Amino acid sequence: MSQFTAVKVPKLETVAIQLTDPNQVKLSGTITQKDPSNDLAGFFKALHAAAIADKLTEVRADVSGLTFVNSSAIRLFVDWATWVKNERERYTLRFITSRNVTWQKTSFTALMSLMKEVLAIEQVT
Amino acid sequence: MALFERNPPPSSSSPTTTTTSTANAKSRDGGALNGRTMVRVICTAGSGALEYTHAFISAYAADHLRGAVAQRLSVGAYELLSNALNFGSVSSDIVLELIEADTLVGVRVSNEAIQARISMLSEHLLRLRSNAEQTFLEELRRSVTGGIPRPMLGLARVCHEVGLALELQVQDRRVSVTAQCRR
Repeated sequence: MSQFTAVKVPKLETVAIQLTDPNQVKLSGTITQKDPSNDLAGFFKALHAAAIADKLTEVRADVSGLTFVNSSAIRLFVDWATWVKNERERYTLRFITSRNVTWQKTSFTALMSLMKEVLAIEQVT
Repeated sequence: MALFERNPPPSSSSPTTTTTSTANAKSRDGGALNGRTMVRVICTAGSGALEYTHAFISAYAADHLRGAVAQRLSVGAYELLSNALNFGSVSSDIVLELIEADTLVGVRVSNEAIQARISMLSEHLLRLRSNAEQTFLEELRRSVTGGIPRPMLGLARVCHEVGLALELQVQDRRVSVTAQCRR
């Protein structure tokens, strides 16, 4: 059984989260909490651990519907990429982004330049 | 939070004013933003005003300004207010204003802060003025390596990500940061 799909999804006021495939998580809405790590860091860490346990070769994080995030939320994506980079058996962390959302273009382009060995960026819409 | 209830604290009788800008001489987004205050919100450092104030300002801007401008100012309002709430002095109000002039529109946040914070902010703005993209990358890199002091991504986002010009004005201990662009 997939551990990835068994990860408990947190319920948050401004962001909707769905596990849509055995290797895909979809986030939409906004992340404006002062410290989103309280709700999301544990969730991302659990997804990461499940992906390793499931021996996934790729995890797809669809953030194309995230219209606004604060700097603390960007750091959560940085943390996730860092966890992958620190693993011996890595998977590719593929962010599905929207070319219509400004923060996604700049932040993921910059993150890609720092973590290109573990990241992939795919643009939709 | 109060809307139009209190006035900002009076300035000192013999103020020393300094100004720092991220806009270069050729930028059309730079220059002093003097115009009509569309919204003024007053809140207190350390309060939980960030999320609902941001939601209100974003909705107001979306209703009164072009969509692309509203989206940019939404990021500016969030990051400026977040900094003020985190680092401002609790002894005086934080004032957020949405201001429109003939050609410019912007969000201005003012608060009191200790001198060390003001110096750090001035230096950071000079780095952003020199190269906003490089500064954004450096701050992101510091996020990866867990830099101390804490990475300062917020203003780098405002400058690089949404392309707003930042104007810093310091009058004694009162700091005003304006994020602005063409209407």
